[in-house]
Order: sequence, then structure tokens, then C-alpha cells
Amino acid sequence: MARCWRTRGGLTSRLLAQVGFLPGDTARHHRAVILDLLQEALTESGLTSQDIDCIAYTKGPGMGAPLVSVAVVARTVAQLWNKPLVGVNHCIGHIEMGRLITGATSPTVLYVSGGNTQVIAYSEHRYRIFGETIDIAVGNCLDRFARVLKVSNDPSPGYNIEQMAKRGKKLVELPYTVKGMDVSFSGILSFIEDVAHRMLATGECTPEDLCFSLQETVFAMLVEITERAMAHCGSQEALIVGGVGCNVRLQEMMATMCQERGARLFATDERFCIDNGAMIAQAGWEMFRAGHRTPLGDSGVTQRYRTDEVEVTWRD
Amino acid sequence: MRDADADAGGGADGGDGRGGHSCRGGVDTAAAPAAGAPPAHAPGPGRDAASAARGSGMRPHIFTLSVPFPTPLEAEIAHGSLAPDAEPHQRVVGKDLTVSGRILVVRWKAEDCRLLRISVINFLDQLSLVVRTMQRFGPPVSR
Repeated sequence: MARCWRTRGGLTSRLLAQVGFLPGDTARHHRAVILDLLQEALTESGLTSQDIDCIAYTKGPGMGAPLVSVAVVARTVAQLWNKPLVGVNHCIGHIEMGRLITGATSPTVLYVSGGNTQVIAYSEHRYRIFGETIDIAVGNCLDRFARVLKVSNDPSPGYNIEQMAKRGKKLVELPYTVKGMDVSFSGILSFIEDVAHRMLATGECTPEDLCFSLQETVFAMLVEITERAMAHCGSQEALIVGGVGCNVRLQEMMATMCQERGARLFATDERFCIDNGAMIAQAGWEMFRAGHRTPLGDSGVTQRYRTDEVEVTWRD
Repeated sequence: MRDADADAGGGADGGDGRGGHSCRGGVDTAAAPAAGAPPAHAPGPGRDAASAARGSGMRPHIFTLSVPFPTPLEAEIAHGSLAPDAEPHQRVVGKDLTVSGRILVVRWKAEDCRLLRISVINFLDQLSLVVRTMQRFGPPVSR
């Protein structure tokens, strides 16, 4: 399923080209491709519907219309084939895929994407949120700054910001907003949107310098709150998941912090950092094995679904 | 904390549930409420669209859709797939789904005709997807 999704990447850039992903267009896209994708997955794996043990789908969090578009198909095939349904939390999908791919046993997790920014650690059957953004996600901040600079969306704004940042030389001072265990990005975004116009007009700095400065600032904030959580938990492992986890500079900065603490850093490549169906299947498999079932009546999607709402019965 | 940009759902008009114009039945239109009627107001929390509309002297918009299926089981499956998700603007638009024989019946009650239209269009899109899924991956296995 994950591999099938990536061939639709070209469509992703076009969807993002407007003002970020619009729910209606995203839902239309999902409805247009999902049945072919499902058929491809069955064919490629050589399985029939009778070989399937359960149907795992994303219950939330996320945008309403796209979530519904996939949930209705999951419910329909679950009923057609008479198989149980398992509703999965998207964030937990990232965590379980990260643990599977990297082999990390009990890491402090930094989950960073366009829609989410959380520091999570497992404790007594919950993925507890130790710190998070109090406003926008870090990926959202980077993507919106890319729009200000009119940076291309192909392959993704975050990737292009990362490439430009590598060519930046001057560090522009930006607000640094860590609030206890949490972070805030909307103030930094408004600030950099203001100074960008001014400084680029006077030639005081280049767009590359601004990309570099934004990354250095926001990533340092993320490293700080992750370190704080690791200190609190006495953790010797850190795991980065989510689309922003592909960023090599973020991985470098996290690696430096881990090295200083004698801890190990785990990260995945872009096949698994970015949202993918396989991660939902992985978490769904863990949940199914532990006995979780989602009755049809409880299977409604939910845009707000906290990571710590789920009872993690599949771990000790 | 959720990303402030995450839209509240609704598909047909690309998420302009963020705040477009609404044609609230009876309030902004030329036909003003009768002189003795209480002033129109937005429904408070916990009041549904129909009772709020009645309270302010307006009737809610009603829309009913009947969808026949080849068998009662398939109508039940469609119901199972389409009923669980909540409406995005629950205080203004509500719907309920029932199965009668091999017919899936959907009844909407709404205070706002624009949001009603969006809800119906979105429902039809999801219904179409359910039907295509059943055509492609059905028929249902025997129970």
C-alpha cells in the first residue's frame, strides 16, 4: 500500500500548490484512487479477501472529508468480506512504523509533520504527550514560509526549503519560543513573514539565509523539548517520525544532542516518515493482535484524536 | 493541540465552512419574520436545528433521499458504512439514516440552505464511493 501511494506523488504537489491541502480536493483525490489502490495491493501481495484478518483504517486525527472517504471504503469491505474493523490513531501509526523499521525499543518520539508536532513517550499503556505545539505544526510553519518566498511545491515545499537552507550563510535572529515543555511557531512565522519582505528588498540577506535561519531556530526548539522529555524519562533512545523527520538538518541536530547524552537516535527514510498506509496497517496489526476491535457504530472518524486517548494494550 | 490550519471538514466548496455567506432561512431574506415573532437568533448549544428554527418562528429545510439497493443486506451494508460519521455542522444541519427493506432512507433537517446543499452533495459523493466499492469487491460473503 505504501509503495502504491508514492506513484501518486505528482498529484500531491498539485494539491499542495494552492494554499496547502484543501479538504474537498484531497477527498476527491482519495475517492478517485482508493479502489484501484486496494485492488493493486491485493494483486501485488497475491492475497484474496479471504486471506485478510482485519481492516485497519485511520480514525483520526486529520481533515474530515478525506478521513470519511477512506473510512466508508474500509467499512464497506469489512462488511462485504465479514472481517473485523480496527480504527487507528494516525500519530500512533507513525510511532509503530518507526519502532518496527528502526528496532528502537522504548524511544522518546519526536513526531513532526505538516499537521502535528508532539514529543511522545510511552508510559503505562499510553503514548503520553510530553510536549507539543500550542498553535501550528512545524511543517505548517515551514510550508507557509515557502509560500511567502514563492518556493516551488515540487516535490514538496519542505524539501525545497531544506535545499535552500544548505546554501544559507547568514543567521538572522528570529524569536525563539519554547514555553516549558511546549513550543509555539505562529509568532515566528509572522515575524519572518514581516522581515522577509524588508530584508530581501534592502539586500540585507538572501532567501537562502532566511531558510537557513528559520530551520536553525525551529529545529533547535524541537531538540530542546525532546531533550527535556528524555531527561524526564531517563530515556536513552530518540526516534523521529513524521514528514519533517526526513529533514537531514533536523536529524543532524538531534544526533548531536543524543551523542552528548550518550543516547541513540533513530530515524526512517522518506518511504516511512511521510504519511503512508502501511503505518496504519502496522499499528492496526498490533492492536488487532492485542484484541482491539472497532464496532461499526463506534467507527466514526474524528478530526481531533489525541495520541494519549488510546489504551496501548499491546505493550507492557 | 491541533494545527490551527486543519479545516473543519466539508468538501463540496473546498472548506469554505471557514466563513462564507449563509442564507439563513428567513433571517436575511426579503420576507421578514411576522411582527409578533420573537427575534431570530442563533441556536444555543444543545438545541438542534429543527427546534431552534421552530423557536424563532422559522421552519427548517427538509430533504429526503431514498436509495434502492438490490437486496436488504446491501442496503444494510451501505447504512453501516455511511451512518457512523458525524455531520460537520451538527447544530445547523442534521441527518439520520434508516433502512426500510432494501431502501436506504436519508432525512436531512437544516436551518441553513447552503450548508444543507453542501451536506447533500458530500453525502452523494460518499454514497457513490460505497456503491462502487460494493460493485467492485462484492457481492457480500455468506454469513
